[in-house]
Amino acid sequence: MFELKKFRKKSPWILHFNAGGCNGCDIEILACLAPKYDIERFGMINTGNPKQSDILLITGPVTKRTRERLVEVYNQMPEPKVVVCCGSCASTGGIFRGMYNIEGGVDQFIPVDVYVAGCACRPEQIIDGVVVALGILEEKTKEIEKTIKLANKPVVEEDGQVNRRNMPAELTYETAV
Amino acid sequence: MQSIIILSILVLLAPLVGGLVYGIERKVKARMQNRMGPNILQPFYDFFKLADKRLVMVHSTHAFLGVMHFISIWVAVAVLIFGGDLILVIFLHLLSTALLIMGGFSTRSIFSHLGANRTAISILAYEPVLIIMAVSIYAVNGSFQISSIIGSEPLLYKMPLTFIALLLILPIKLKKSPFDVAEAHQEIAGGAEIEYSGIFFEAIYTAKWLDYIFVYALVFLFGGSNYLLGAGLVVGTFIYLNALDNSSARVDYRQMLKFSYFVALPVAFINLLITLFN
Repeated sequence: MFELKKFRKKSPWILHFNAGGCNGCDIEILACLAPKYDIERFGMINTGNPKQSDILLITGPVTKRTRERLVEVYNQMPEPKVVVCCGSCASTGGIFRGMYNIEGGVDQFIPVDVYVAGCACRPEQIIDGVVVALGILEEKTKEIEKTIKLANKPVVEEDGQVNRRNMPAELTYETAV
Repeated sequence: MQSIIILSILVLLAPLVGGLVYGIERKVKARMQNRMGPNILQPFYDFFKLADKRLVMVHSTHAFLGVMHFISIWVAVAVLIFGGDLILVIFLHLLSTALLIMGGFSTRSIFSHLGANRTAISILAYEPVLIIMAVSIYAVNGSFQISSIIGSEPLLYKMPLTFIALLLILPIKLKKSPFDVAEAHQEIAGGAEIEYSGIFFEAIYTAKWLDYIFVYALVFLFGGSNYLLGAGLVVGTFIYLNALDNSSARVDYRQMLKFSYFVALPVAFINLLITLFN
């Protein structure tokens, strides 16, 4: 039978979103598109349009200003879609973690499929992460994927998931109490 | 009867050939930048992937206008291949672009409006030259019928300046640098087609392939009955367009309009005067 699913792997279109990082990882992503690494040979295009892309590449920690935009951009992408966090800031908050304007890692707001480590992550690592993401993309169904609700109340319990802590809210909560 | 069947098959195959042209173009462009480039069949992979996405649309009119954009440009290409009226072909093509502009304006997205606006401006830039081209072909040939143009002497020798004017406006038509203000990658992220997704974007994407067929068929007309010359012109135009696309940066839309009105249009007009008073 003619399967449409296998073509997902052959033409992944990328949306690159900077959630508030230092531009180091962005430069590495652009290096992937440049002649040296040339990921267009796998059919990847940097579309810059959420409605037509399959892979969301996020760099940088989520700030208070970008979290609504991040959720909005994620919701505009039609399924199947995968999310790849590039760099340690996007994965956990990195060196910006705990600052007054930083919310932390991306996975507090949207479901993340692949984490790429490194500060900044190397182009080879990004390509590797995207290849892993393509394997996940092929398995995915067309069901609507929900974002994680923006927390009104600070989440303070530490059950191994330190990343879920909403530090700025926690601080204000503590001072209010 | 047999020729009608052959022509119908050609019309049905037009999107496939256009997709191949687009694939080859991406490869050639990559090689010009010292990259490997994607597979030649890459546009078809994109096509099948877009068919597999979840159905999302802004509203039904928007999606309908996108699909009609594709159908009307296919009709334009069909009339061109069947040897119909050149004026009709040009206006059908204009209709398809107008439908895309209406689609762009039918959403509330500001980027969509911007893209539709710029597409309208680029129509202003290239359409007069196309009309003057049709008129000067009439002046030379005595007919708007494409079947009579294709059977006559090569037009290139009689109206070389019109061909040059056509070459000057083709980057505007195909949204290539330096005149790609209508599409403007990363600046307005694709223009009027920005709100289309999934299977509806597929219509726009395929219409883009048919645009290539339309343009290269227009170029082929200049070869007249000398098909070899026509094919040579098509290949030359292809290389010229890609080399220009890779070597130039985007200009402002005002500069584009000025270039079109003060360079391309006079060149076409001088040729028209020469043919009229000869």
